[in-house]
Amino acid sequence: MKILVINCGSSSVKYQLIDTTSEQTLAKGMVARIGMAASVVTHKPLDRPEVKLSAQILDHIVAIEYVVTMLMSENHGVIADKSEIDAIGHRVVHGGEKFTESVVITKELMQELRSLIELAPLHNPHNIRGINACQQTLPDVPQVAVFDTAFHHKMPPYSYIYGLPYVLYRRYGIRRYGFHGMSHRFVSDRASSILDKPIEELKIITAHLGNGCSIAAINGGISVDTSMGFTPLEGLLMGTRCGDLDPAIILHLMGREELSLHEANTLMNKHSGLSGISGVSSDMKEVIEAEESGNTQARLALDVFCYRLKKYIGSYTAVLGGVDCLVFTGGIGENSPEVRTRTCNGLRFMGIELDDEKNNSCQATETDISAVGSSTKVLVVPTNEELVIARDTNRLVGKTNETVSV
Amino acid sequence: MPSSRIMIIGAGIMGQGLAEAIATAGHDVTLIDKTTRLAQKGIKGISESIDREIGKWGLTESDKRAILSRIIPSSDLSEADDSEIVIEAIPEHLQQKRDIFAKLDSICHPDTLLITITGTLSISEVAEATSRPEKVIGMHFLVPVSKIPVVEIVKGLKTDESTFNKGVDFVRSLNKEHITVNEYPGYVTTRIIVPLLNEAMHVLMEGVSSAKDIDRAMKLGFGFNVGPLALADMMGLDVVMNWMENLLAELSEHKYNPCPLLRKMVRAGKLGVKTGSGFFEYDQDGNQINGYSKNVQSLIAEEQS
Repeated sequence: MKILVINCGSSSVKYQLIDTTSEQTLAKGMVARIGMAASVVTHKPLDRPEVKLSAQILDHIVAIEYVVTMLMSENHGVIADKSEIDAIGHRVVHGGEKFTESVVITKELMQELRSLIELAPLHNPHNIRGINACQQTLPDVPQVAVFDTAFHHKMPPYSYIYGLPYVLYRRYGIRRYGFHGMSHRFVSDRASSILDKPIEELKIITAHLGNGCSIAAINGGISVDTSMGFTPLEGLLMGTRCGDLDPAIILHLMGREELSLHEANTLMNKHSGLSGISGVSSDMKEVIEAEESGNTQARLALDVFCYRLKKYIGSYTAVLGGVDCLVFTGGIGENSPEVRTRTCNGLRFMGIELDDEKNNSCQATETDISAVGSSTKVLVVPTNEELVIARDTNRLVGKTNETVSV
Repeated sequence: MPSSRIMIIGAGIMGQGLAEAIATAGHDVTLIDKTTRLAQKGIKGISESIDREIGKWGLTESDKRAILSRIIPSSDLSEADDSEIVIEAIPEHLQQKRDIFAKLDSICHPDTLLITITGTLSISEVAEATSRPEKVIGMHFLVPVSKIPVVEIVKGLKTDESTFNKGVDFVRSLNKEHITVNEYPGYVTTRIIVPLLNEAMHVLMEGVSSAKDIDRAMKLGFGFNVGPLALADMMGLDVVMNWMENLLAELSEHKYNPCPLLRKMVRAGKLGVKTGSGFFEYDQDGNQINGYSKNVQSLIAEEQS
């Protein structure tokens, strides 16, 4: 089956066309900077050179149209006709308590998805926009939603309940849900293969460090705790999100600066994190460049980022009662030896020691970067959320087709 | 078939607020005024308003670029032939509004939704300037448009159901709620707020309490976000007086008779935030300067003597 995997972010659409029989990616690409001055479309067909074009792309509908056009393009395309796309798999950030696994998208489901927007205001609206755009452009193709929250649904209640009146959990579903589930699931599975040990016997900490950052404690293949909570705002410091915060600060600021709910929300989600502290950029690469040229605020942002990550590694080691393997993934986790070094520095007492050479030369490839004597393995594993989505989509749509033919 | 572009006629405070809110919601907007320069000035105003919102953490620089890229200035009313929705947002003058609608009638596609923005005028009278009064609907947005989440949708006598439903869909697409109003002078919000503002001015004029204390009392006592005198300053004292006179003319009720203090302040050009001075004093960014307007004090003294 040929499955189009769509991952709609706030200002980007990432896509892959995956053949699930060979698990090969026929083409992949990204529409970036949607709604900004010059949008960029990058398209890479298998075994052929990457093409790049810039265009004015102001919303997700136009972005999806570009994706389909690229896939069918005479020179750079990989399919001759739209009808070759058998199914579409969407990454959907928040599945609430209702969605503990992937599902086929129906009209009723869209309504339930919309009701979850309040839980993930930065993501679900864009995911839904992506689904709507696909329904317009490819109306006859079955679509599947794969949730970021699903992998964490086995967390024990003492890990997901906040210290608030219990009635609020019952009334509004206020609890921690966790995100980046596909990534934590994929890289922990890979870690088990790399270490050649069944996942049931492993205690793994996975750190997904991208635009959003989260870390998970995985015991025997089950996520038992993770740093993102009710929304993807909690936990680690991120590109533009503040992560953990004394909640009273927001009440204080709302009074002090007479902020509306919307303004307070954007303050924490879009004006904070690496960008807010450094005043330079939300991009770790640019923050590190600024730090190297002596920018003290950039240095501080980097320090806060790595320090908080280290604290979480310590607490999750306690939660798991030891750790066999620490995995770095996501754009920053895969590409930033500086972040890995600063985070692991001083953790020898708990068996974490890096091999500097392996760490520095590792560039987004599966690598064991731990030193020979390190009792805890430290791995870099490029994540592949798209493959997780394609596999789930294939399984679900395959099932529906069987039912129909019977 | 016209495009989904939305035309706004009038690049004043209301037109700017509408263009900002509508473009923020993702629609493409053509902002029209008498000259393209005036329309461009309107866009400059929108840009400054967005900057204030960025300063209050509500938007980001990339939001700003996206919003502004959706707004095109123009002075050519004939471009309305390519708009699915046309919104007239010029000041509250019946004849001028009727003239514009007569022109739109000959320009627009038969299915175009025609919206007049007004707080007091009769939708039916505006609609009758066209040959399709059933396609005309009134809307009353409160200022600041981008922040106030409620819109009064006003049916004229001939407005049909499908026009009304289109209006509701449009308001929803702006993430706002609507209330339904049958045509009657002052609708709901204006009619109720005007006597309250008038009464606050009388209380001030009669020396019962200071402007600051009157506003504090209503804010703390009744949970108003803004006190009535500061609210009148924000709305513009000339605008407030204009509403009162319209309501007085329509309903002949004494309670709408503008307070003498208001008349005096308007005559003296103390129009509130936009002139820097009203019941309170304001700096260039429209922030209230602490304390109480001396000009008003002398006007009140005259009134009491």
